[in-house]
Amino acid sequence: MEDENNTFDPDLIHAIFKLVWTRRALERERNDVADALDCEVGAGTSKKNRQTSANGKAIKLSSELLRIFITEAVQRAATIAEAEGASKIEATHLERILPQLLLDF
Amino acid sequence: MEKATDMEMEREEVEEEETESVSDVLRDRFRLSTISIAEAEAKRNGMEISEPIVACISDLAFKYAEQLAKDLELFAQHASRKIVKMEDVILSAHRNEHLATSLRSLCDDLKAKEPQSERKRKKTPRKENKATTSVVHILDN
Repeated sequence: MEDENNTFDPDLIHAIFKLVWTRRALERERNDVADALDCEVGAGTSKKNRQTSANGKAIKLSSELLRIFITEAVQRAATIAEAEGASKIEATHLERILPQLLLDF
Repeated sequence: MEKATDMEMEREEVEEEETESVSDVLRDRFRLSTISIAEAEAKRNGMEISEPIVACISDLAFKYAEQLAKDLELFAQHASRKIVKMEDVILSAHRNEHLATSLRSLCDDLKAKEPQSERKRKKTPRKENKATTSVVHILDN
């Protein structure tokens, strides 16, 4: 029997978030440069561009949220598969639960 | 002035390429974790799950993670903060009551593990009760 609590590594999730935030910060900087050409303010020095960060507990909670996303998807698809007497979850099962899944998350 | 902007644009392009390859590495690690979680869950339900479907769920979850990052940033910004906190994560689950409730109780568990959480409890006596503080100050442990 598996005892391990299967979940996402919080560091991985944190890295993914930082990637998104970096990308968005770059976008903002690019827009700032376009605006700043007229005035003397240097790009990237404006307060708005300090990058977002997250506290540890928020990352843990996010990791849990993502784990629940996966388990919900699998569990809901499994219910459909079972109702049809199948023993393997296939595309047709996933298809049917996808709309509600996306609405719930 | 124009040369400076060109150089800046080049730098930005290089940065973009770098973030793309980092993204690929993260995506792969993410997929590995997803496979493990999905297969365990399928087993729990007495089922097997086909490989392409797990890959599909993984891609979907990765997109969700990116969307979540964006939402969290927006919520924190909306609260005039630069740091994302647990309340932002709970807010992002607002569409599903079950989900929000599970997250909230997890949040409480996480808070309870902190040794300093005593101070933040709302049951600390107010100033009017100074006369009876000796009686009221019965904190646990």
